[in-house]
Amino acid sequence: MSITRRNAAQWLAALPGACAAQQLIGEAPGRITPVAELVNSYEAEAMAGRVLHPERFAEIAAGSRAPFDRITFRPRLMANSLDLDLSVELFGVKLFAPIIAGPVADLSRFHAGGEAEWLKGAEAAKTHALLAAGGGTFPVACYSGDWAGFDKVRAASKAPVLMKGILRAEDAKAAVERGASGIVVSNYRSGVAELPGVAATISVLPAIADAVGGRIPILIDGGFARGTDVLKALALGARAVLVVRPLLWGLAAYGAPGVQQVLELMQSELARAMVMSGKPNVAAIGRDTVRLHKR
Amino acid sequence: MLQYRYELNRRRALHALAAFAAGSPLRAFQQDPFRDHSRIPALTEMRTALDFEAVAFVRLPRPVFDYTAYGSDSEFTLRRNRQAFDWVELTPHAQPVRTPDTAAQLLGTKLNYPILLSPTAGHLQLHPDGEPATYAGATAAAATPMIVSNVSSVPFEKIAGASRGPIWFQLYPRNDSESNHETLERVQGAGAQAVVVTVDQQASFFERILHSRHLNPGAPGGVRRRTSSRGAPRNPYRVPEDRLFYEWKLFDEWRKIVKVPLIVKGVLTPEDAKICLEHGIDAVYVSNHGARSLDYAPSSLEVLPDIVDAVGGRVPVIFDSGIRRGADILKALALGASAVGLGRIARWGLAAYGAEGVQRALEIMQAELKLAMMAAGCASLKAVNRSLVRTDFP
Repeated sequence: MSITRRNAAQWLAALPGACAAQQLIGEAPGRITPVAELVNSYEAEAMAGRVLHPERFAEIAAGSRAPFDRITFRPRLMANSLDLDLSVELFGVKLFAPIIAGPVADLSRFHAGGEAEWLKGAEAAKTHALLAAGGGTFPVACYSGDWAGFDKVRAASKAPVLMKGILRAEDAKAAVERGASGIVVSNYRSGVAELPGVAATISVLPAIADAVGGRIPILIDGGFARGTDVLKALALGARAVLVVRPLLWGLAAYGAPGVQQVLELMQSELARAMVMSGKPNVAAIGRDTVRLHKR
Repeated sequence: MLQYRYELNRRRALHALAAFAAGSPLRAFQQDPFRDHSRIPALTEMRTALDFEAVAFVRLPRPVFDYTAYGSDSEFTLRRNRQAFDWVELTPHAQPVRTPDTAAQLLGTKLNYPILLSPTAGHLQLHPDGEPATYAGATAAAATPMIVSNVSSVPFEKIAGASRGPIWFQLYPRNDSESNHETLERVQGAGAQAVVVTVDQQASFFERILHSRHLNPGAPGGVRRRTSSRGAPRNPYRVPEDRLFYEWKLFDEWRKIVKVPLIVKGVLTPEDAKICLEHGIDAVYVSNHGARSLDYAPSSLEVLPDIVDAVGGRVPVIFDSGIRRGADILKALALGASAVGLGRIARWGLAAYGAEGVQRALEIMQAELKLAMMAAGCASLKAVNRSLVRTDFP
């Protein structure tokens, strides 16, 4: 392209705008905020986006918030919360908060420290972790696959076996009948192709909780990134939430301290949401803590 | 055509000039097109309450502006508070009205318009005249009652001396009976005509100011968390403790001390509204604290009808959170509110033009309400009822 008078004048005219735009961008690309300054898990996501290759980051980028945006709280007032308690008992383990670090294969994809950093961060935040390869700090086995395989694993395992990948009430019932110690409501199954248009787990949870009727504990994963998201799952019948992506963001950007910080932020968010909806402990949370909206 | 290599032609001259401008230190002095304006519009140019926000933005340091703007956490409720007014449609009468009567009585206070100033904190940050100016502006705007915040930057007595209009007081209870007692006696002695007890916002957290912390190193809130006045909290979840002691039975104690009308602010469920009645409360104040309490709380408007039904007319229901236009007020009144509170609008008015700004912003809202009543065919507030609206809450 030859430079014409018109081009040059246009370019000159665009300059002030370009300079101003440069000033408006707050941080130089690539700057990593000190981990203690993160205020929510989505800030950790932004940092992960800076350290990971774009294709790697795309695997763990945040999902839609729409399913959570269709649930609001019914905040009750004046509940004394001085003895605020988030702990729950699950398979004989007392959890500090109803949040568990969920299983992920090959963590070294995201941070050189891999599983060691993951476990270290989770432990620092008093959180139990399930590892994909087994050997985590939460004494259960998580199975996803067909029912015949489930029966075999259950027969062979001494630890409680959870059936993972439930999205339908009838499958939840089947899991109870086949002796599952618990289920994981999840739309992720290893080795199975991702299904476009799959339902959000939080949307199908109420029907599954009704089908299970409290006979076995329900765990859930899928898009939980805020403390309020966790409170919604507890209100709709889950006993605990498996958190994965937000911890991967923390791991990728900071290693163990990032995992710890994201977990602590989510614990604090859950605690604050419980206080302000008038639920000083997990037992007080129920279906009437939330209201479901069609849109 | 053969051309000499170093010939200076017009094209090259422009090219060089552009390069010089790009590299010049002068660019640091170029205007930020989003922040700077050639002039600040005059007060008389304000046409809607929303106009004041832009002027407040230019007048205020960014952290102070943000403090007024933000909601808690992800600001879902902040967005929903505005959305909710789109879910309510007005169905006007065929016959318009020429001179609607906007007067009302609320808890012994005569209102020329069913509008109050919601309690908001620290007005000195917004304008050097602080709360006395807000109060003077509110009184000048057809004697709009001001609810003075417990965390005002000027003591209640001093504010109360600045004008003669109706004035109420808002309390954040402390975990110290004597201190609450002393405060309530003091403000009643200084002329508070009603007491509003805020019972939400026990553990809110504001993220927006922290998102831009690198631009505002000294921002209020900063990266430090709000810590308890009593040191480390008892809970291990880093939730400050000073507002965790709330219990309904405390109202029985406060009810004895408060001789003027006592109001509970922050009610979002019919169940809590009924509990308020059991404790002898004089009015239920439906509010989500301008979306500054629990994120993912419902908009105040969508829960208003059910609460009004639960209260069943036994006491008045006051409403706030999200009102920006006169038609918004009419919608809230149609859904059963006896009066509405305005918070951010008064803050913008004060920050932009001081007392006169508060007055003008309120007058605009009053005029808009009057116009809305005229167009809707409501001769008085008694004619504003649920038949005036169609609701489609999700």
